[in-house]
Amino acid sequence: MPEIFIDGQAIQAEPDQTVLQAALANGIFIPYFCWHPHLSVHGNCRICVVEVEAKGGSWLDISCNMPVTEGMHVLTDSEEVRAQRKAILQFVTLNHPVDCGICDKAGECTLQDYHFAYNGSPSISRDAKVHATKFFDLSKRIVLDNERCILCSRCVRFTREISKSHALGIENRADHSLVRPAEDRRFDDDPYSDNVIDICPVGALLSKQFLYKARVWYLEPTPSVCPGCERGCAVQIWHRRPEWRLNALDPRQNAEIARVTPLENPAVNGPWICNKGRDLARIFERARAEQPMLKGKPVELAAAIDAARRLIDEARHAVALVSNWGSNEELAAFKQALAGRFAASFVKRDRQPEPGERIEDDFLIRADKNPNTAGARALFDDAPAALPDGADLVLVWGEGCDFGRLPRGAKTVFLGSYLAPENGHADVFIPVSIQTERRGSYTNFAGTVSPFEPCFAKKPSVADAETLFAALAQRERATA
Amino acid sequence: MRHLIPEFEKMKARYPAGFESSLVLPCLRRIQDDRGFVADSDIDGLVAYLGVPRVQVEEVLSFYTQLRRKPIGRWHVQTCRNVSCSMRGAERLIDHLRKKLGVAPGETTADGRFTLSTVECLGSCGTAPVVMLNDAYHENMSAEKVDALLGGLE
Amino acid sequence: MGGRKLLMTFPVTATSHTLADYRARGGYETLAKVLREKKPEDVTKEVAASGLQGRGGAAFPVGRKWQVVHLDDGQPHYLCANADEGEPGTFKDRWILENAPHLLLESMLISSYALQVRNAFVYIRGEFDLPYRRLAAAVEEAYEAGYFGTDILGSPFACDIVVYRGAGSYVCGEASALITSIEGKRGYPRNRPPRLTVKGLYQKPTVINNVESLSNVTGIVRDGAEAFKKVGTPKAPGTRLFSVSGHINKPGVYEVEGGYPFADFLRNELGGMLGGRKLKAVIPGGISAKVLTAAEIEPLPLDQPVFEAAGSTLGSGGMIVIAEGTCMVRLLQVMLRFYHHESCGQCTPCREGMGWLHRVIDRIVAGEGRLEDIETMHHVSRWNDGTTICGMGDAAGYATVAILEKFRDEFEYWIANKRSKCNGVLEVGNA
Repeated sequence: MPEIFIDGQAIQAEPDQTVLQAALANGIFIPYFCWHPHLSVHGNCRICVVEVEAKGGSWLDISCNMPVTEGMHVLTDSEEVRAQRKAILQFVTLNHPVDCGICDKAGECTLQDYHFAYNGSPSISRDAKVHATKFFDLSKRIVLDNERCILCSRCVRFTREISKSHALGIENRADHSLVRPAEDRRFDDDPYSDNVIDICPVGALLSKQFLYKARVWYLEPTPSVCPGCERGCAVQIWHRRPEWRLNALDPRQNAEIARVTPLENPAVNGPWICNKGRDLARIFERARAEQPMLKGKPVELAAAIDAARRLIDEARHAVALVSNWGSNEELAAFKQALAGRFAASFVKRDRQPEPGERIEDDFLIRADKNPNTAGARALFDDAPAALPDGADLVLVWGEGCDFGRLPRGAKTVFLGSYLAPENGHADVFIPVSIQTERRGSYTNFAGTVSPFEPCFAKKPSVADAETLFAALAQRERATA
Repeated sequence: MRHLIPEFEKMKARYPAGFESSLVLPCLRRIQDDRGFVADSDIDGLVAYLGVPRVQVEEVLSFYTQLRRKPIGRWHVQTCRNVSCSMRGAERLIDHLRKKLGVAPGETTADGRFTLSTVECLGSCGTAPVVMLNDAYHENMSAEKVDALLGGLE
Repeated sequence: MGGRKLLMTFPVTATSHTLADYRARGGYETLAKVLREKKPEDVTKEVAASGLQGRGGAAFPVGRKWQVVHLDDGQPHYLCANADEGEPGTFKDRWILENAPHLLLESMLISSYALQVRNAFVYIRGEFDLPYRRLAAAVEEAYEAGYFGTDILGSPFACDIVVYRGAGSYVCGEASALITSIEGKRGYPRNRPPRLTVKGLYQKPTVINNVESLSNVTGIVRDGAEAFKKVGTPKAPGTRLFSVSGHINKPGVYEVEGGYPFADFLRNELGGMLGGRKLKAVIPGGISAKVLTAAEIEPLPLDQPVFEAAGSTLGSGGMIVIAEGTCMVRLLQVMLRFYHHESCGQCTPCREGMGWLHRVIDRIVAGEGRLEDIETMHHVSRWNDGTTICGMGDAAGYATVAILEKFRDEFEYWIANKRSKCNGVLEVGNA
């Protein structure tokens, strides 16, 4: 382990580390734009400059490409380093529009932070800025502002090294250089494309969905797990902070998913997620079922629970189809409280791949499009192709059940979350909460258990499955 | 570009194995010699032939100033305007060519015969000013010499 | 005249570039002898002992570069001759390519043997037409004669060569950009470390030498390092090819022994100043070398250490001689337009800085300059000093600062009077 000295502090570095890595690993911050821990070193932004002190004198060089060597002395905040950092910021802001006031990245922009921390003074240039393309249609999902782009090439490297779509490149030379998509528009088909929005250190790459939707400081993230497939990538679901609730506009915006970003989890997804994980609103914000019903007739939640309990009590041969969107906690609650009341309980696959969806690849995307198949199968068997004849009650929990194929004459208790034609046909329909309204965990295909937290409140007419199962198990009247 | 593949194969023989990506530039040069520019269909063909990402070919085409994706005039008149040529009259020569051809650098005459360009240093500083007419250098040029040179062309 | 010659040793005729003529001058005999009698490491030792310095601009010792390559590392090694002669004012390698292509090829074969290179490359700038045709023809002649391919001259040595044509990019003359270009990509320079001799072309050890540097190898191996060191000066042995342009009577390529006085060179070889004008300044080694005023250069011998001590360099040997009456503001404008045009755009200081400098000088020339613009240009230049991936930003900065400092009065005059002190003249007539 080479010992190096950063700002006089002795540090035990790993032999294959760069000075930047060694510094960051030891809590010493060096600014960087183009360097990224998961991408190759390009060393083009030059802001991670440090001063190396040696016998023959000292010199400046970039720390992201500087291997550690035994006994080396490095300064990260000398006068020379500070001056060169300021110089780089002069260059970076030379043709940058500095339009933070209308830029979605403001508040989480590296350039903004560094300018505040390391420069703070206005440009010394008095020449007109070089204009470039605004609102360039980089893909169906991403818009590019070339004036804000600092050509760090992170996005380009991402498509070469991580998503391997080779969908982005740089055109032209000098300060006319532009990030551009391959002309065959293959970036549209890169299922990981939106990661470039996160890794863009400035506001050059922006999500069309999120464009001008919110200042990021009005939002807060809730840690969650993407339910889009059995990978179970760690994500952050962003929504409005309570203190910044909107009064004047549609109040539903206060309980909407503003955006989804990856939460770094080395064991599952690293720092990346696929685009489906960005689009959780398309899953969770479908029209919700919030009205308990008996054969389509609205009733109070308590009445629906009573009815369901009665059906379970009366059944001679009850079968349950449990949801692989249920959390481990809900599944365990079902097993503990209710499984004994059913002749058989099976795991159902709630969702299948959608038309056009990437089925699987050798990166993150898995073929099973449900989050907790592994957790459910640890407790229950897979559902057979056809349920055993003679079942007189079927409890269906979650989506993906073809009611037409249930045993004829069997009564049905349906626990669902979204508006669907089946809801009204079930003998008892009880609306249940969704992932964004409860706490829980999923077990992914590799056995990794990942927790998620609630970010929105459920409606009072909607049941919480764990409580519901306990209530259904009671012989006496109770409420969920 | 498919008809050029036998030539590309011959070229490839002198490269080590695994150098397919290296062939991008020589192939593009050859395609441009053949067609006068690199068409979109050429890019598709080259990508299929070499197995390189399309974006690499697009990036290369916009980096090297000699490569072009649009046709130009039959005669490409490129005049150096770097230091040594300017010191020996290149700026006057460019003005002369502008007037004579009636186009600005970067433009093509209406009859499609001439495209006028300015370039930076052709390595002919000792015989400045230099005019490159298609591939050939014409050195120690003057207004009179350039008139004679262009006058003899179709 | 100009001292002893090592390269321009034969009269140029209609056939002097051919294999037959080269053989008649003893060509490829050194290769045969090396393959017969020498071990690869002996050749490297000889080249290192000669003290030969790179002729592309940086004057790095050739032998030191070669010694980084480990012959027994089990990897392929590559050799590349840098014939991407693009530094404005430089056209000396063109002389070798046009007139002595076989000297380059024989030298490359000997060097490839020394470095155990199976595949060699010549990266030649895309605009060069005759030099390319001459070199390509020489390569075919050499293949035909069995100097390339396998079992070369009956030995186990095998070597193939590719003449790789650029397509219009100054930066590709920088060694790492050249490699990226041969990999079929945008000619982006690479950060060091790793050195190219450790990880170069396709991440394999690669030696890149200038055409003139390599062309000296045959003579060094044939006559011995000692003989080479007797020519020139102790710290910069051998001769140098100078390509001289500008306001002189006899521009062209000249081989000059190290130490030859500049004043003699100007008077004798170059035929003096155009129209008998006074010398104003000289850019001694391509436009990236710092300009020297007449008073600074007139007493100097043409010796690399001396020019370095004078704050400049002989660089690429591209000497531009500037007569009294030339407008240095316009000259810098032409230079900065060039650097802006040629910046690859990869790293921040050069990408933004070259455009910035170009716009400022354009504005000064347009009569809209302010005195603080001179300071801004100083800042932008200094911010490129040692802060870029390759040497282009540095070089442009040095060149800019040298002109600004030495001819500051011309800039101040233009800013104050909205016109040139020298009528904006670059072309100085014969009058």
